[in-house]
Formats: sequence, structure tokens, C-alpha cells
Amino acid sequence: MLVDTSYPPPSLDGFNSPAHAAEGTPKPVHGRSLAAVALRQGSLAVFIGVLVYFSFAAPFFLSIGNIGNVLGQSAIAGVLAIGLTVVIIAGGSNVVTGGIDLSLAANMGLSAAVYASLVQAGYGDGLAVAGALGTGLLIGAVNAAAITLAGIVPLLATLAVMNIVAGLELVLTQNTVVPAATDFLSALSAAGPFGIPVLAFVLLGFTALAAGVVQYTPLGLRLYAVGEFPEAARAAGLRVKLFITGAFLASGLCGGFAGILSVSYLSGSTTGAGDMLLPVVVTALLGSVFSRRLLPTIGGTLLATLFVSFLINGFQLLNISSTLVSGVQGLLILLVVSATTLLQRKGNQ
Amino acid sequence: MPAQSSHPVAAVLRGFARYALVAAFAGVFAIFAAIAPSFLSGANLLSVLVNNFTLLAIVAIAMTFAVSAGGIDLSVGTAIDFSSFAFVSLVLAGQPVPLAILGGLAGGILVGLFNALLISGIGISPFLATLGTLFVGRSAQQLLTNGGNPVYLPPSGIPEAFRLLGHGTIAGVPAPLVIAFGIIVVAWLILARTRFGRVNLATGIQASVVRYSGLALPRYTAATYVLVSLIAAVAGLIVTSTVTVYIPSSGNAFLLNAIGATFIGTTLDPNGRPNIPGTVLGVLLLSIVANGLLLSGLNFYWQQVATGLLIFTVLAIGFANRKAGARA
Repeated sequence: MLVDTSYPPPSLDGFNSPAHAAEGTPKPVHGRSLAAVALRQGSLAVFIGVLVYFSFAAPFFLSIGNIGNVLGQSAIAGVLAIGLTVVIIAGGSNVVTGGIDLSLAANMGLSAAVYASLVQAGYGDGLAVAGALGTGLLIGAVNAAAITLAGIVPLLATLAVMNIVAGLELVLTQNTVVPAATDFLSALSAAGPFGIPVLAFVLLGFTALAAGVVQYTPLGLRLYAVGEFPEAARAAGLRVKLFITGAFLASGLCGGFAGILSVSYLSGSTTGAGDMLLPVVVTALLGSVFSRRLLPTIGGTLLATLFVSFLINGFQLLNISSTLVSGVQGLLILLVVSATTLLQRKGNQ
Repeated sequence: MPAQSSHPVAAVLRGFARYALVAAFAGVFAIFAAIAPSFLSGANLLSVLVNNFTLLAIVAIAMTFAVSAGGIDLSVGTAIDFSSFAFVSLVLAGQPVPLAILGGLAGGILVGLFNALLISGIGISPFLATLGTLFVGRSAQQLLTNGGNPVYLPPSGIPEAFRLLGHGTIAGVPAPLVIAFGIIVVAWLILARTRFGRVNLATGIQASVVRYSGLALPRYTAATYVLVSLIAAVAGLIVTSTVTVYIPSSGNAFLLNAIGATFIGTTLDPNGRPNIPGTVLGVLLLSIVANGLLLSGLNFYWQQVATGLLIFTVLAIGFANRKAGARA
């Protein structure tokens, strides 16, 4: 099976594989960090270049209103991608045996359906919020149990859970739209200060909170340790399984939270949440190019989310066919990963 | 890997877990036979094979080659779509059907070559490379079809030969079934009897050993991903011939079930390796569950939950067993 190779082949590694880091002698490591800086600056330069181009080509692009709208539209995908980032950090960047949560999008769909159904049944927002977050947390707990107790690789465990969750959503909604309108939901989807949507502030606030915990606390540092070198983390006395469980619980909670945001954004729960999955995976993986050492970070994931959203928005403003968006996303990830892989290979020589 | 346990009960339990897949299969079969009398009829079992089994089996066999080499191919659906698009377009342009079939296979191989370039040429991990291919392929199809419109063949203009792949029979057996069994046998022979198969298995177990043995690992990996796309392309031809329409990005519907069947199949192997018989049994299990749940009259939406729970259970037993074996 995939998990019983102690030295995964390079072709299987995600970027930043421990194998690369372990093989590197001091000098190549220096070269690699230079290359990493170049790549990071390069991707930031591309991001800014795209923004500058759009702002010249479509004058409306840089207006506060438009930027606020893009931020608001990114809220759902951003929260999901941040949840996935936590799992990738804790599980390591090898996407098959390491951290991945394929159930996130379905989780959002079911949580949204639970929220909308509770509102329909006449319950208040408090209970609906608890229901949605509880649903997300429960899904995270099932994932965590399947991975840490039964020992199923995350890719498969979350795939199976995704199927169950998507089925439960269909059972609950009978594959229809469940409308939901409450004061809380309208407040969440309304425009806030400066005409910027409240959802935009929610995204920024949530990112700040997640980044604070993951990047700036001992807990976050240990999370990285568990993902990058599980053996070393275990030898240092960290309870690896506990961290992985926590990461999947956090990711489940993010799914529930994104569900609430989507009920507010769409005024109810809708079908087709599963379509969010692959774009979210791409965004979370793309995020590492915006970090200093090409690691998955919360800030990097936010930048990647915004990058994709600004691209879509710019295309719309310039009347470029939206069919190009998925192609651009695909090319982006291939370019980024190719560049990373080639630079690492060069650095190791 | 499976250690001899001193305790007889533990040994029995482990023996049961080793055959979790077979047990699940027999159990599911018995339950459906009991609750839906029409389940066991010959006509129904044949329909399971033709309608549920064939296409998924072909795609899952393709997936098995990728997983066996320690990778994964998320772009099998893209290969199906490209094959389908080339097939329909060539027939629509008035080309003879055999040429259109070759064109369809070439369309699939194109996807495989792109993957091979990314994985062997540049060294990207298969998951990310094929995920990128999936996205680029989706966009390419939308560009080719004016934003994702299906390409229909006019009912009057369909050559008789076009339908043969999907609707024809060979010695009274439906053609798709014959093709699927042919692919299963050939795939099993390739993995078990050829040099390519041995290298493929070795790559999945310990790629560095393959490299240090002086074998051209990138070339074998490239060949693996081209083969995956070629097999998926056959499924694309059959599905197109059956429904006489090309629907952009529709091939992805097989992706998750193909991955599921392949990994369910790994529970059959004592070392948890992907294997052709396991994959076939996994596909059979998924097909029978889909058909049986349909006959049982259970709410359509509960069927998906039940399928998911069953896959989850088989995986949990299979992996827990492997973990116990590794620990002992």
C-alpha cells in the first residue's frame, strides 16, 4: 500500500518533502532558500501584476466597492481553504498519505442544509448556528476516528465520509433548495462599514484568528512539527495522533462555519456544494507559494483565495469567458508546482 | 506482514478481516436476494454486469495501474472526455468509424502524455499533476464546445458501426461486457506476467530500489500514465457509443468510484497492495449495491448514504486488520 514505504519516492512527494530537506547539505539548502525567495517574490509579483493590469483595463476593478465584493464572495471558499490548510499542515504535504480532507465541501453542504432546515422548522438562529457547527464538528470527529483509530489513509477516509455526508444532505433536503431568512442571516450578508460586505470582514477576522493560532503560538509550531517530521515530533514527546485529531476537528468546524456563511450568502441551502471541493483543494495547495519557505500557511492560503477570486472578478469585468477560469486555475497550480519542483531539484544538486 | 498470532480467537478475527471484502460481498448478495426477489433473476444480474459493472470496471482497472505504481490519476475522467469528444467529432465530420475509434484512443493518450510530461518530465507528484490536468482539461472542453454544450449525433446520421461498441453483441454476449473482460484479463496478465508489471509493482513498494537497480524509472512511470489514459479512453468510446452524445466533463462521474473500488480491492491483498482481482471484486460490490438498493425500493437519497457506509466499513475493517498485522 501507499503507506508502507518508509521513503516515499520523490514522484510521490508533495513539495517540501522531508526527504528533500534531509538530503540537502548546508550549501544547497542556502541555494534552495534563495530559489524559494525568488519563487515567492515571483508569485507575489505575478499577483500584483495581474491586479495592476486589471485596474488599468477595467477602471472599476480597484474601487473599494469591487474589492469589498470580491472579499465577500471569497469568504466561503476562504474559510474552507483555511480548514484544509490546517489539515495539510498537520498531516504533511504528501497529498496521498499525508493531510487531505475531501469531505470539506460536502460538510459545508450538509451544515448549510442543517441550518436552513432548523430555521424552516421554526427554531432560532442560536440553535441553527449550534446545529451547523455541531454537524461540522461531528464530521471532523468521524474523519479523525477513521484516520487515527482505524488507520485508513486520509485520502480514502475522507472520500468515504464525503459520500456519506453528501448522501445525508440529499436525504435532508430531498435535493431541493431550502430557503432560510432570519435577521441574523440578513445582517451577515448585508453591507457593513464603507459599503464593504460583512462577509468580507468575517473572512478577514477569521483569517486573523486562524493565522494567530497557527503561525504565532507554540501549538501552531507543534502542528508544523507533527506534519513535517512525525517521527521527530513523536520522539520529542508530542502526541501526534492528538494533533491530527485536532486538525480534522478544526477542519470540520471550518466546514460548519462555511455552511453558515453559505446559507447567509445564498439565502438558504442549495445543492451542488461538492463542486467547491477541487477549487478549494487547488487553493490550499497553491497557498504555499506565498509563504517564505514554501510551506502551507494561513496567510498564504488567504492570498491564494483572493488571487483566484480577483482573477474571476477581473475576467468578468473584462468580459472574458468564465470558462477560462478553471483552466487558469489548473495552469496556475501546474506552473507553481513545476517551478517549486524544478527549483528544489536544482537546489539539491 | 501478517504475523502469526498466538491467540486463536485473534487469528480467526484476522482471518475474517482479511476476507472482509469477500464477506461483505456475500452478505450484500444474501440480503438483496432476501428483500428483492427479482434481484437473483438472470436478467437482473446480466443488467448489473452490463449497466453498472462494465464502464466502472474499465476505469477502475486503469486506476489500479496508477495506484499500484504508488501514484494516483485524478484525470481519468478527462481521458474519457477527450476520447469521447474526438470520437463524436470525427464521426460527425463524416470519417469512417474505425478511424474515429483510433482518434478517440489518441485523444485519451494525449491526456496520458500530458500527465507523463508533468510527472516523469518535471517530477510533479501524480496527485497534483493530474489535478492540474483535470482543471486544464475541463477548461479546454468548454472552449471546444462553446462553453460546455453537449455534442449530439443527429439520430438519422448515426452509422450502424458506431453503435456496435455499446449495443452490439459478440456470440450473444453484449460487446461492452466482452471488452471489459478482455481488459481485465490483459491487465491481470500485464501486472502478473510482464517485466512492465513487475517494475510497476516495485515502483509502488519502493521506487528508490527501482532507480538504484538501474531501471529507467521515469520511462516506466510515463508508460504507466499513458496506459491509464488509454484504458480510460476505451471506456469513453463505449459510453459514447451507448448514449450517442458527448457531454463535456461528464467522465469525472467515474473518478471517485474508481478510486473507491481500487482501494476496496487492496483489502483483499495480505500486504494491502492494489490488485486486479480485488479491484474487480470492488467494482462488483459497488455495482451490486447500486442495483440492489435500487430494487429494494429504499429512498433514492438513502442509497447514497448506504453505499458510503458500506465502503467506509470495508475500508475500516481492511485497514484496521493491516494495522493489527503491522503491530504484531
